Amino acid sequence: MNNGDILMGVNLSKKYSNLEVVKDVSLNVKEGEFVSLVGKSGCGKTTLLSLLSGLEKPTKGQVTLNSKDITGATEEELALFRREYVGFIFQSFNLIPTLSAWENVALPLFPIKMSNDQRRKRAIELLEQMEMGPRIEHLPAALSGGEKQRVAIARALANHPKIVFADEPTGNLDSATGDAIMAILSELHKKQGMTMLMVTHEPELAKTADRVIRMQDGEVMK
Amino acid sequence: MNLNYVVKELYYQRRRTIISVVGLSVGIALFIILNALSLAYREAARAPLKEIGADITVQRPGNVPQELTGAVFPCSAVTIRQEEITKIEKIPGVIGIGKAVLVWVFDPHQAWIVLGIERENSIGPAILRAFVTEGRFLENGKSEALIEAGYAQQFGIKVGSNIAVAGRSFPVVGLVDASRAPKIAVANLYLPLKDAQSIAVSSKPLQSVSPFAPGDVNLLFIKAEQEKIMPVAAALKNILGAKAVIATPESFLKLLGNLFALSDKFTLAASLIAMLIAILIAFKTMAGNISERAKEIGVMKAVGWTQQNVTMQFLMESVLQCFAAGILGILIAVIVSYGLSFMTVNIPIPWEMSPTPHFLPGGGKQLYKTLQLPVHIPFKLATFALLLSVLIGGFTGALLGRHISKIKPSEVLRHE
Repeated sequence: MNNGDILMGVNLSKKYSNLEVVKDVSLNVKEGEFVSLVGKSGCGKTTLLSLLSGLEKPTKGQVTLNSKDITGATEEELALFRREYVGFIFQSFNLIPTLSAWENVALPLFPIKMSNDQRRKRAIELLEQMEMGPRIEHLPAALSGGEKQRVAIARALANHPKIVFADEPTGNLDSATGDAIMAILSELHKKQGMTMLMVTHEPELAKTADRVIRMQDGEVMK
Repeated sequence: MNLNYVVKELYYQRRRTIISVVGLSVGIALFIILNALSLAYREAARAPLKEIGADITVQRPGNVPQELTGAVFPCSAVTIRQEEITKIEKIPGVIGIGKAVLVWVFDPHQAWIVLGIERENSIGPAILRAFVTEGRFLENGKSEALIEAGYAQQFGIKVGSNIAVAGRSFPVVGLVDASRAPKIAVANLYLPLKDAQSIAVSSKPLQSVSPFAPGDVNLLFIKAEQEKIMPVAAALKNILGAKAVIATPESFLKLLGNLFALSDKFTLAASLIAMLIAILIAFKTMAGNISERAKEIGVMKAVGWTQQNVTMQFLMESVLQCFAAGILGILIAVIVSYGLSFMTVNIPIPWEMSPTPHFLPGGGKQLYKTLQLPVHIPFKLATFALLLSVLIGGFTGALLGRHISKIKPSEVLRHE
């Protein structure tokens, strides 16, 4: 790790049976940087994001996140690592349908030893930041797509992550709502210095980032 | 693990929760009811002996004289000698003994079933004291008689009158309502034990088939330590011979012929089957629930929940559901048991235990002790059922939770 890199992937490959989805990819993300991975559907960008975030283990290569090599970590070690350093934003929000907005935001905090009041306080603080203050007690079913994604962003920030991985964060939203979500992500990066790696298939959205990495057929385009 | 999350999950998935809770609660209720019924029949089987203050009755069958004249022993109860009684008193587990002499007396104009009783002993027929409807009970040292109320009415015998039995005269001091009295050793004339022994001793026909000395008797009522009833019964056979008739709660249970009464194994097997079905219902419902929540588990793990955190979450959900099922099962069992407690049970009293000559009115009639089935749910049984339910929850939750917590988040969130 050097030059302020918070995330580094070296010669990463991922094979499913005989299909190589990610082919010998190396990339790095600096602390406070907003990087977007852009490419057509099926080009391997989500798999690469999974490898870099510790959701999946590479067939070959090495991932270093916050100066820690996570390549050989066990599933339990990876879970603890994600709890401490990583935030996720998914395309389809992935909120827990039976939990209210604030409880969804507090989901990463449930396994941590802290009082429920502290969890709630932290969740409400983030929801207010996302302009979701009046909706804290609502269930996901009572929220619009944009609101759900705001809750999901708040959840990604609950554990004070070092880096946020966003996988097609606007993929399930109309363009106006998508723009609003991108504005929030952009603001998070600019005002709070949040490091972000975003996967998208829309080149226009990718331009919001500081740096754009293009992928094709499992490889990073030079 | 978060209790709020656990409760909300169960609440919002209430259709599934209800199926699971109701399914298991029916099994728990069946388990409790089957065991409560078994206990109820066991308790009912104790009733005929309990009401005479004993746990065991002892008789020795023998012969009757060719001609039924004067005082004779029924064939079901011939002499038990004094030295045998002394040995019986020394059997470990015997708390106390009640003695009686039952003789049939065939006088020229009247037939009597005479029972000689110990006036002061709480074990045995002296319990009749509570069923005197007119006059008084026998007094110490006096040769006097109690008559069964129905018999007295039939033959116009009144309190204060004198009766002649086997050539002796006895003043009638009271009437006894035998319909309310214990059904074992029922007679129509009750005398002090010494008088009945005296009648037996002086009867030639009786002595000719079953020699009888002044201290002998032909009925014994034994109070024993509950857990030693069976060993005491075995020891009695050793002393009195294999032909001795030893009545215990267990022998009455066999007479009931009921499946619950007959076999602990049946109760155990039936309640295990009920529980197994309930467990399968609960397991299937919970397994369906967990597999539907694979994506949710993927999200939990993606945001940092460990396998242990996920397992604990499902364990708590399962334990809470099964605890609720246990409580509901107990409630169902209480309601059903209340309904069952209105059932009556007829316990047949073998003719030998209350012998009446067949040619006398009512002589061939089968006697029954009729009582309401004493169904109740012991606290221990309810607690055990609740613990069992929670254990099932713990086992199911841990098993399913452990299995599902191995999901890799990338596998279930892959479509992204």
